[in-house]
Amino acid sequence: MKKFKRIAVTALAVAALGVGSVSVAAAQDAPQGNAANGKRIFLADGCFTCHGRSGQGGAYNGPAPILAHTALPFDGFKGQLRNPSDDMPAFSEAVLSDKDIADIYAFVQSLPGPTSAKDIAILNN
Amino acid sequence: MPKRRQQPDASRRNFLKGAGLVGAAAAVAPPVAANAMPAVPAEKLKAALPGPRHVATETMPPNSDPVNQSSSGGDFMTDVLNSLGIEYMAINCASSYRGLHEAVINHGNNKPEIITCVHEDIAVHMAQGYAKIEGKPMAMACHGVVGLQHATMAMYNAWCDRVPVLVMGGNIMEADKRAPGAEWLHAGVDIGQIVREFTKWDDQPASLQHFAESAVRAYKIATTPPMGPVFLALDAELQENPIPDAESLRIPKFAPVIPPQGDSAAIAQAAKMLVEAQNPVIVCDRVARTPAGMANLVELAETLQCAVIDNAGRMNFPSRHPLNQSFRRAMIGQADVILAIEMNDLWGTLTHFSDRINRRSRPAYKPDTKVITLGVRDLYLKSNYQDFGRWQDVDLDIAGDGEASLPALTEAAKRLIDDGRKSAYAERGKKLAAAHLAMVERSKTDATIGWDASPITTARMCAEVYNQIKDEDWSVVGTSIRLSWMHRLWDFKKPHQWNGVSGGAGVGYNLPASLGAALANKKHGRFTLAFGGDGDFMFNPGALWTAAHHKIPILYIVQNNRAYHQEYMYLIAMAARHGRGVDKMDIGTTIKDPNIDYATVARGMGAHGEGPITDPKDLAPALTRAIAAVKAGGPAVVDVVTDPR
Repeated sequence: MKKFKRIAVTALAVAALGVGSVSVAAAQDAPQGNAANGKRIFLADGCFTCHGRSGQGGAYNGPAPILAHTALPFDGFKGQLRNPSDDMPAFSEAVLSDKDIADIYAFVQSLPGPTSAKDIAILNN
Repeated sequence: MPKRRQQPDASRRNFLKGAGLVGAAAAVAPPVAANAMPAVPAEKLKAALPGPRHVATETMPPNSDPVNQSSSGGDFMTDVLNSLGIEYMAINCASSYRGLHEAVINHGNNKPEIITCVHEDIAVHMAQGYAKIEGKPMAMACHGVVGLQHATMAMYNAWCDRVPVLVMGGNIMEADKRAPGAEWLHAGVDIGQIVREFTKWDDQPASLQHFAESAVRAYKIATTPPMGPVFLALDAELQENPIPDAESLRIPKFAPVIPPQGDSAAIAQAAKMLVEAQNPVIVCDRVARTPAGMANLVELAETLQCAVIDNAGRMNFPSRHPLNQSFRRAMIGQADVILAIEMNDLWGTLTHFSDRINRRSRPAYKPDTKVITLGVRDLYLKSNYQDFGRWQDVDLDIAGDGEASLPALTEAAKRLIDDGRKSAYAERGKKLAAAHLAMVERSKTDATIGWDASPITTARMCAEVYNQIKDEDWSVVGTSIRLSWMHRLWDFKKPHQWNGVSGGAGVGYNLPASLGAALANKKHGRFTLAFGGDGDFMFNPGALWTAAHHKIPILYIVQNNRAYHQEYMYLIAMAARHGRGVDKMDIGTTIKDPNIDYATVARGMGAHGEGPITDPKDLAPALTRAIAAVKAGGPAVVDVVTDPR
């Protein structure tokens, strides 16, 4: 269990820096989630307030990591929600069920990650 | 059929007759409460009842006291203000300083130029923004009690931001000179008392010469680092009455204080520590008080080829300089020597703090890291308000103005750097440059996420704005909370391109302070723009009228997330902690239902308005139109409906 937590925290730290936003393998071990319901919860329960409606990241007391197509494995994602490593609120079972978390995870995995900035001229001023 | 009402006779005879009736009635009537309802309807009189003053006007010989005067104390006060080079006086008009107000207009030919504000909070914040661009104070005048009470939060922001503002409030010191009613309500024994905890100095001059010396002293104290607001109470009699002995009055000579440099031995010790360090890191906040400040800091950083983490309280360091590591704060954990220059919250910068049930903290730096501080902030502190922050252990604490001390520190470092070190420094600089470049590229990539989304991402908003102003001589003088995309994406490299934030985190700063900065930029021909949150905007929307009235050109972008968003997030955290109701935290934290149409508000104030913009494709054309309006000489507001952060 301790080993798992360390991995989760490290992965989060990487995500917080905006690195490795896209992962092919990340969702492989995740339970089947309902992305549409996940989107509903993501908006209703305020996940978007820190992480953005597009999962682009944002800020709370410090930077809030990018979640769009997150590289975080599901267990790490759930671990961060249940017992966060930083100032992020902890969402207990009473607030978010495991099913809700799976749905949210499916939603953020469905969000497109970054594209090439070179293709957007005004980002190269 | 009702009895025909007799028409009142307003002739002089009847006027006096009525007066006589009133006088006789007053002599015999029993005392009753002034607002008591009479039991029997009073007899209808033929003329309106004149008061005792009217009776006296008709029956008494003219007063012997003078009704005209050829000079006023306000004239002299105006001369004193002009001797200090004060360009503007932001005001909300009030009778307690009507003597000065009239004198500035007629004796001073509207110099200092009066800036009409619809709230005292706006006037002080304008002065704060102005000073950070122009490098000198603006005056502000208000009612001494109720007006000053309005002004207090803005004065607190200026205090926390270490910005000079000369605030003046009218008062009527002598009780026997106060008219009944408001003049008693608006007078005080010590009106400066309510702002004394967040001003550097205050006084209530009792004579014109006293005013002259206190005004010059106040200006000098305000502009001496650490700078801050000052307050003068202006007695109305002193302002309004004739100058009793003009020949005896003298405007004192003002000589600015030369900011103190750090002790030379301490500077040499700091240079040695920095030169010998493997990973020195500079952290800074309000270093640049003049255009020279940024160049001084760049030279030290390049001499050492070390990382600079800029908290951006001023335009301290170019955003695209290879040594700028402001978005790589983990550097603090790798430092062996930290040089902290003019820091506002050093402990907060060097500490990991957890906002959890058990509030914990731990240093962000290694146990053996040496910390050097250079600055003047702690040379003037007060007790009540806790803006001084938590105690931070340091190894070498140098009292000296950061900007003024930097050249000596750089020269001392250069003398210690041999060729071997130069080579090592170059390698260090290359690594930092590569890391900086990677950070910039990553920022661009991150900015692509949600590029076409609605509400518009803050990254897209900032990129669209920069695309249209990048070739101007731009100056961005306001931002919304935690909006970092400008500093991640834009090329800040000139001293006037940034002027920091509110200082005291008092909401309502951003719009009026931006206008003050725009006023300063106007004569330099710069293109001023600012971002600001919708919550902040609604504290002082009337500032836009001032901008329109005085033709202050500014592009103001409302980052409209329809919430007091930081509080919204805090409430979600509270609900999650308590395991309940996270989906209801928009109650009391959001600004919707109805949504506010900021463009319409702007147009109502005489400004150009665009929006609300919800589709990112509509943003560029709206900005183009708004920029044209700004170039035509006025304010323009663009309401951009954005994602929260």
